[in-house]
Amino acid sequence: MTTILPECDIPIPQRQPHIVCHNPENIVLPMCNVQTVPGDMTERGCTFAGCRGVVGGPVKDAIQLVHGPIGCAYYTWGTRRNLSDTKLHRKYCFSTDLTEESVIYGGAKKLYNSIIESHELFPEGKAVFVYSTCVVGLIGDDTEAICKQASEKIGIPVIAFHCEGFRGVSQSLGHHIANRTLFEKVVGTAEPQESTPYDMCIVGEFNIDGDAWIVKPLFERMGVRVLSVFTGNASYNDIPPMHRAKLNIVQCQRSSTYIAKMIQDKYGVPYINVSLFGMKQTADALRDVGKFFHLEENAEKVIAEELAKYQPKIDNYRKKLDGKKCFIYQGAPRAWHWMGPMRELGIETILTATTFGHKDDYEKIMEKANPGHICIDNPNALEIEEYLVKLKPDFFIGGLKEKYLTYKLGIPFINGHSYEEGPYAGFEGFVNFARDIDVAVNSPVWKFINKPLEVS
Amino acid sequence: MARSVTINPPKMCQPMGAILAYMGVHGCVPLVHGSQGCSTYPRYNIARHFRESAEVAVSSLAEDAAVYGGAKNLTEAIKNIKSRLNPAAIGICTTCMSETIGDDVKLIAKKALTDDSMKIFPASTPSYVGTHLTGYDNALRTLVETLAVKGEPNNKINIITGIINPGDIREIKNMLRLMNVQSIFLSDISETLDTPILSGGHKPVLPDGGTSLADIADSANSKGTIAICRTAGSAATYLRNKFNVPSVLDPVPIGVINTDRFVQNICKLSGASIPDDIIKERGRLIDSMVDVHHYMYGRKVAIFGDPDIVSAIVRFCAEAGMNPTVAMTATKHKDFAPDIKAVNSEYRTDTQILEGTDLYEFHEVVKTHGAELILGNSKGKDIADDESVPLVRFGFPVYDRVGVYRYSIMGYNGSIYLLDQMTNAILGHKYDPNKLHQ
Repeated sequence: MTTILPECDIPIPQRQPHIVCHNPENIVLPMCNVQTVPGDMTERGCTFAGCRGVVGGPVKDAIQLVHGPIGCAYYTWGTRRNLSDTKLHRKYCFSTDLTEESVIYGGAKKLYNSIIESHELFPEGKAVFVYSTCVVGLIGDDTEAICKQASEKIGIPVIAFHCEGFRGVSQSLGHHIANRTLFEKVVGTAEPQESTPYDMCIVGEFNIDGDAWIVKPLFERMGVRVLSVFTGNASYNDIPPMHRAKLNIVQCQRSSTYIAKMIQDKYGVPYINVSLFGMKQTADALRDVGKFFHLEENAEKVIAEELAKYQPKIDNYRKKLDGKKCFIYQGAPRAWHWMGPMRELGIETILTATTFGHKDDYEKIMEKANPGHICIDNPNALEIEEYLVKLKPDFFIGGLKEKYLTYKLGIPFINGHSYEEGPYAGFEGFVNFARDIDVAVNSPVWKFINKPLEVS
Repeated sequence: MARSVTINPPKMCQPMGAILAYMGVHGCVPLVHGSQGCSTYPRYNIARHFRESAEVAVSSLAEDAAVYGGAKNLTEAIKNIKSRLNPAAIGICTTCMSETIGDDVKLIAKKALTDDSMKIFPASTPSYVGTHLTGYDNALRTLVETLAVKGEPNNKINIITGIINPGDIREIKNMLRLMNVQSIFLSDISETLDTPILSGGHKPVLPDGGTSLADIADSANSKGTIAICRTAGSAATYLRNKFNVPSVLDPVPIGVINTDRFVQNICKLSGASIPDDIIKERGRLIDSMVDVHHYMYGRKVAIFGDPDIVSAIVRFCAEAGMNPTVAMTATKHKDFAPDIKAVNSEYRTDTQILEGTDLYEFHEVVKTHGAELILGNSKGKDIADDESVPLVRFGFPVYDRVGVYRYSIMGYNGSIYLLDQMTNAILGHKYDPNKLHQ
């Protein structure tokens, strides 16, 4: 049997097709990208989260205005570690704070006034991003028209994102909505100040804990000019000229392939997929980019410099981590991004899971998986607990919501969403990642789990 | 506030508070009837404040529910939770979505239950009305409305805590123990959201602790109810109106006078007398205030948070000789302004009252009225940094320091701890070490 029904799921057998034990002779992908079973204790979030939290949120000089009751704005205020060199997007939280009156009579006027006032108070904002939440979709505010009217008044772009939380099955639709909105309304609205034959965008890199600050210089050292990062530490003004890149590279291939493909289809700019995690994958990405721009020698030079500096450190960590087994549960791509790098540390990933993976994510997981590897689509809390207890990994890379459950079970944990002490990308970041795994696995604190208090 | 736009709100929506109320009930699984973000976001906040896992179910409403209603999802969610977890109860909270589409949650829940082996609490908690405190109050009242039943008098006192920390609840329990008073806590997160790692990594399916359904049922037979957070007082009013349980809605026991009132209320309702140990605790609080008054006299302090706790801290700061310049709450409450005005008149202070506003406005007023110290949750960090003053953290959520949930700022003992925190912040920030050698 390739699919599995864990004990906790016996009452909800519809979960069985989502859980697969890998058999290379008979490859089956978990069922994915479908509605969650109601009440199954899912870890999923909503479409608003994918749009505002993941893709739109990192744009550092846009006023991020959430149109809805207060919760949705509050909960996305500085919660993802999408760092930037300015403070506007993480320090401030803007909300129309809709109340019952607006739900009955509409929130149009409140939204219009909120846009105008935000601009007056924060003139440094280069644009206003307006995100619709569930209730806005239900009461039917014409946010498109309001944003247009407000934009004419204040003279800066006001972009409406129709990302009501109830749309779609997970955060994933929110990524797509953000990509499509930014492509249709922003990309191509301005030309770059200058163009070179070596212009490239890094797409799907959100500067989590400073990842972009590690990977961008690697390409610059090769002689590539990074036109934009979509959207980590990005200015609003970085997005309009993306169509003039000569090449796009896509790091988060779940949340951002959409825009790379749209730019390719409309403007003929090719894109390539990269994994900027781990030594080999990062080197491969540099080589692929070097090959495209005919900068092979430069790429090899940068790789050699980085390996000379960081490979010995990785080798040291490998000595301490060789033979360990781990679980990786991420949104989607980091599950397969990290399986290879774990092997560079001598670690085998025995279970992967994703919150909102699509077929292509699971194909990439299965390409890397050993026989017997367990793969779960949209796992719920009970499944995670059951597998942690059953398979007892040496550590688990997940998100904050799983962290303390894992600790109670006496299992080391690494926050893969925001990181412990990142950045984790690139050669240098991988040393941080390895160090955090070493800290998690080899801390003496775990010794007390199996040391009960007894009177001898 | 004259603005339409809200900037940096220190308030959340109703489901957040309702989930916290349900998490204080033994064997109760919170179920959010709404979009998936409506459970995920509160879980995230609970996890980062308490550093605990917070399991919350969701009915995963999507487009079809927007058109046809959410009854199918809610029914299936109830069935699935029961068959997989077999909990004592499910605590439902609604959201802006399920309220706007107009699901009759009570009716759906009633139909979904095939037998009496599990209770369902159907709280109405629309996110576009009130704040997290409204949600807490609604869920707590729903618990009592669903379960409370007249029986034999039980000689206990009901304590409604509001949204306070496990450390605070433990301190209040400690006081009641010293006074030999039995109690029912409505509800009680002191164990459910501060769980131990057990030997061998053994973990119960649902956390130990929390108030039992039997105790909530028995709350109708108590000698009285004390709500220390008046924003959470509607359950007390319900018990009084329906079962003649006397109720007192009084300030949070922080500082000398408010804690005195709490002790006096306990004595009046239970007939207990004040034991020596409580007298000694009170004496230690006064001793701690005397010890630090040279450091703290006239110190300007600006405070933001939930209204009951802010007004109690304002009074305590005034008692300690400090100068509370700004008191801010995002949740409006009728007692907030009168509380602060009373302190102003008793201590000749001039505390600015900000109610139903946001931290952007709070910061503007702090700039004009001054602060040497800011008290609030983690959302005050940037303001404190901009003003180059320390932030002493209390309230919810505090995610950028560890352990805040473990310690109490309530009762005489907790007040000592709070004053020490404030004083040490001032000493660390303001004082030349040469002046601190004795």
